[in-house]
Amino acid sequence: MRKPDSKIVLLGDMNVGKTSLLQRYMERRFPDTVSTVGGAFYLKQWRSYNISIWDTAGREQFHGLGSMYCRGAAAIILTYDVNHPQSLVELEDRFLGLTDTASKDCLFAIVGNKVDLTEEGALAGQEKEKCSPDTDAGDCVSPRVPKQVQLEDAVALYKKILKYKMLDEQDVPAAEQMCFETSAKTGYNVDLLFETLFDLVVPMILQQRAERPSHTVDISSQKPPKRTRSGCCA
Amino acid sequence: MMNIKAFTLVSAVERELLMGDKERINIECVECCGRDLYVGTNDCFVYHFLLEERPVPAGPATFTATKQLHRHLGFKKPVNELRAASALNRLLVLCDNSISLVNMLNLEPVPSGARIKGAATFALNENPVSGDPFCVEVCIISVKRRTIQMFLVYEDRVQIVKEVSTSEQPLAVAVDGHFLCLALTTQYIIHNYSTGVSQDLFPYCSEERPPIVKRIGRQEFLLAGPGGLGMFATVAGISQRAPVHWSENVIGAAVSFPYVIALDDEFITVHSMLDQQQKQALPFKEGHILQDFEGRVIVATSKGVYILVPLPLEKQIQDLLASRRVEEALVLAKGARRNIPKDKFQVMYRRILQQAGFIQFAQLQFLEAKELFRSGQLDVRELISLYPFLLPTSSSFTRSHPPLHEYADLNQLTQGDQEKMAKCKRFLMSYLNEVRSTEVANGYKEDIDTALLKLYAEADHDSLLDLLVTENFCLLTDSAAWLEKHKKYVPLRFFSFLFLFFFLIPFQLWVNIVNGDVQDSTRSDLYEYIVDFLTYCLDEELVWAYADWVLQKSEEVGVQVFTKRPLDEQQKNSFNPDDIINCLKKYPKALVKYLEHLVIDKRLQKEEYHTHLAVLYLEEVLQQRASTSGKGAEASETQAKLRRLLQKSDLYRVHFLLERLRGAGLPMESAILHGKLGEHEKALHILVHELRDFAAAEDYCLWCSEGRDPPHRQHLFHTLLAIYLRAGPAAHELAVAAVDLLNHHATEFDAAQVLQMLPDTWSVQLLCPFLMGAMRDSVHAKRTMQVALGLARSENLIYTYDKMKLKGSSIRLSDKKLCQICQNPFCEPVFVRYPNGGLVHTHCAASRHTNPSSSSPGTRT
Repeated sequence: MRKPDSKIVLLGDMNVGKTSLLQRYMERRFPDTVSTVGGAFYLKQWRSYNISIWDTAGREQFHGLGSMYCRGAAAIILTYDVNHPQSLVELEDRFLGLTDTASKDCLFAIVGNKVDLTEEGALAGQEKEKCSPDTDAGDCVSPRVPKQVQLEDAVALYKKILKYKMLDEQDVPAAEQMCFETSAKTGYNVDLLFETLFDLVVPMILQQRAERPSHTVDISSQKPPKRTRSGCCA
Repeated sequence: MMNIKAFTLVSAVERELLMGDKERINIECVECCGRDLYVGTNDCFVYHFLLEERPVPAGPATFTATKQLHRHLGFKKPVNELRAASALNRLLVLCDNSISLVNMLNLEPVPSGARIKGAATFALNENPVSGDPFCVEVCIISVKRRTIQMFLVYEDRVQIVKEVSTSEQPLAVAVDGHFLCLALTTQYIIHNYSTGVSQDLFPYCSEERPPIVKRIGRQEFLLAGPGGLGMFATVAGISQRAPVHWSENVIGAAVSFPYVIALDDEFITVHSMLDQQQKQALPFKEGHILQDFEGRVIVATSKGVYILVPLPLEKQIQDLLASRRVEEALVLAKGARRNIPKDKFQVMYRRILQQAGFIQFAQLQFLEAKELFRSGQLDVRELISLYPFLLPTSSSFTRSHPPLHEYADLNQLTQGDQEKMAKCKRFLMSYLNEVRSTEVANGYKEDIDTALLKLYAEADHDSLLDLLVTENFCLLTDSAAWLEKHKKYVPLRFFSFLFLFFFLIPFQLWVNIVNGDVQDSTRSDLYEYIVDFLTYCLDEELVWAYADWVLQKSEEVGVQVFTKRPLDEQQKNSFNPDDIINCLKKYPKALVKYLEHLVIDKRLQKEEYHTHLAVLYLEEVLQQRASTSGKGAEASETQAKLRRLLQKSDLYRVHFLLERLRGAGLPMESAILHGKLGEHEKALHILVHELRDFAAAEDYCLWCSEGRDPPHRQHLFHTLLAIYLRAGPAAHELAVAAVDLLNHHATEFDAAQVLQMLPDTWSVQLLCPFLMGAMRDSVHAKRTMQVALGLARSENLIYTYDKMKLKGSSIRLSDKKLCQICQNPFCEPVFVRYPNGGLVHTHCAASRHTNPSSSSPGTRT
């Protein structure tokens, strides 16, 4: 098994679509998923790095595992359902605490999933598919409703998290960059989400490697010993 | 979910061996160390069995246990736990909260009576930190509240090394190095007893389920998590494997790579650590112990001991492949990498990849199949051999044994479905085309290229020619037969010359096609191709063998075999012109062409060829004349060629040809020959009097003097003029010719001489153009001479000036002046002075004619 160079963890209340997001990205499909038991992970090769992406169980029953899964994580994707305001509230109340075990410079992304079920999302989707507006509703089971959670709410949460972590806004990616609205069903913004994170994580891997003593002896870049002037006969 | 058979449950110790018919006696604990099996009972007995494994050819091994000994430990309590420390030859027995050491063989307590008191449960450190081979590290959960103790246990003594207190009461422990994995009352933690640092893993509820803590390998533990999860955790407190979902009431767990085995009230379940899926469930009631001992998994009820015998991984993989579960088989195979020696693994893994490839192939999943074939380094011939008749008959290939797939051939695989068959063929085409230039093809390039040629030919594929124009390894006998079968004849010249030898047989085939013996409508220009091929063919024998045939077909085209050969070859002298001429004797047209090639194109300066060619031309001309019955007024093409040759060449034997010409009625040719002999008067006479062709006479003067000096030309013109005039004024026609000649070629004559020759009666008017030309020429000559004279004079003046200048000043000769050549002083007043001022002895100058400036004195130091 390849050893992962970095870890990204998906957190969020049950049924917000964590597994679907991950499957949409990794397998380019949107299958029916069952409630995740415990957790699962994928290994994604990004450039020359292996990044493990952990999908966690949102069910209360497995809540206690989150902390262990987050240990050493380089990035955490906090996921909510744009149609369920409570799922955003849960992120702060239940899941934020789990992230204490993540690495100190851990990145946070806040993702509002299921925009395809909102009015805006449906419109956006239709424009994309170039459908006429009157073929609406017939093809979709769920009624479209106004979006319950606005992107500003996510941005506000992001800023709260920074405060909670006692991070300076200057040192971390801007809220606008790290708050996403996605649809695992249509694939909207899914690649953007993961690939934005990968690109941010790679420098962290490099930094980690630089800080940690290397396990392999590098014989190619041997520096000539520095000549120091001996003290006595300067 | 589909199951596989990963384990078989076999009985190890029958109930009769332990307790006979005593109902109340129960098995409490088990330990297995090599062949030694120990069982502890609730009536404080320890039993020692010798376990013997008997392999059964087709099926799981069977075990028989022979009882060695049993001993009562002297308490009224059950034996809680047994652990063997084989290096010390000791068995650690936990009974009545006390760990005592007994001899592994005779089960006698050590004489020292050493024991660890106050232990609720204990664990051995299988990754010891002490480095002492004669001690084992034991970690106990103390009967004291919230206390863990570390001991070193020697042969007959024990020593406490560390005591750790925990935040909650510990219930289960496993050890790896300095790390303790503990199940506390409400959560699992990792504790480093060397640094004292603790790390929370995750919470659980000990009231609902007893915890499970198992060390499963270096720095990794398996824990029973909430919701029926088997959780993995490393000593760093992270999870590197996804959890397995076993049942809610698991009471024991073990790992036998790559499987997690769990025991609950009714089943033994087997989950793969690779894909987290349940693979097998064995019904097993009333089990209460599940443990793995150095890879051997033992389960026990309170009455009997059983062994879970794993099926060999390879067998499991084969079973998966047999049920077409390619993905799972590959995952399992990949997962087995670290459990199998590298070289053995690679062979096995490659084979599995190949098998998997054929499974995908049979399902027409070509992309997947290709990738598997590629990574499995499949011998391409395995694939080719599926297609009937594609492998060359000469191929020594036999399919690998045991077979990689179950198909006899493509017909069986596709069950005669033509569409599928076509798809398979297209796949093979693209696959072979891809691999033929890679290292996969090494060793069987012939097989691959021949198969590809066959496929292309059969499918009438455009790439057939592409294959043949590039370097290829098609086996010719095989390919030719196939091409013939499919009525595909291809330009021979495209075949690589290197493999010419193999071509002899098919070559005859192509010859047959041209002859019409074999039907082929595809190529009407095959004859040209054969000629072309022979032209570039290096094989002399082949060329000679087919030269006759080629020439018989067409002399003009056939001779190209010799005339169009690339140059560098002929220098190798492989084809001697004389041999060729000899060969061509039967084919006059070809011979002429060839000689023309030698004489005109190659400019060979050899008399024979020139004469030969001239004679051939002549013969042809004569023949033509004969056939057109003497009326050869206009020169035929051949005649023109003959004349051109006679005029241009100086090498042929003039007298010989002249002899041949005598009486042939070819005055022009005779004239040329006379001209060649320098008999210009005779030649011109023929032209003027016999042929009366004045233009030809004029022409003669011109070509005959070509490249010669002006007086020669003048002489010729004068001779011609003289001939014209000699006839006298009576021959009016000649007079006109003379006038024309003079007027047209005024500059070729010496005017003064001409005027004396001309009859007085001719008017100035008549000769006006000539006279004007002559005058102009004369004036021009005079002026040119004047200019030359002037220039010569001025040159002379310059030299005179130079001389005056040199003589003008005196040269002082003293002792200090040395000769620039010999560096000696001048003893006489005689010297030579070079234009650059250097003075030298006269004798030095004489002995050395070089200008001293070239060996300038300045170079001396």
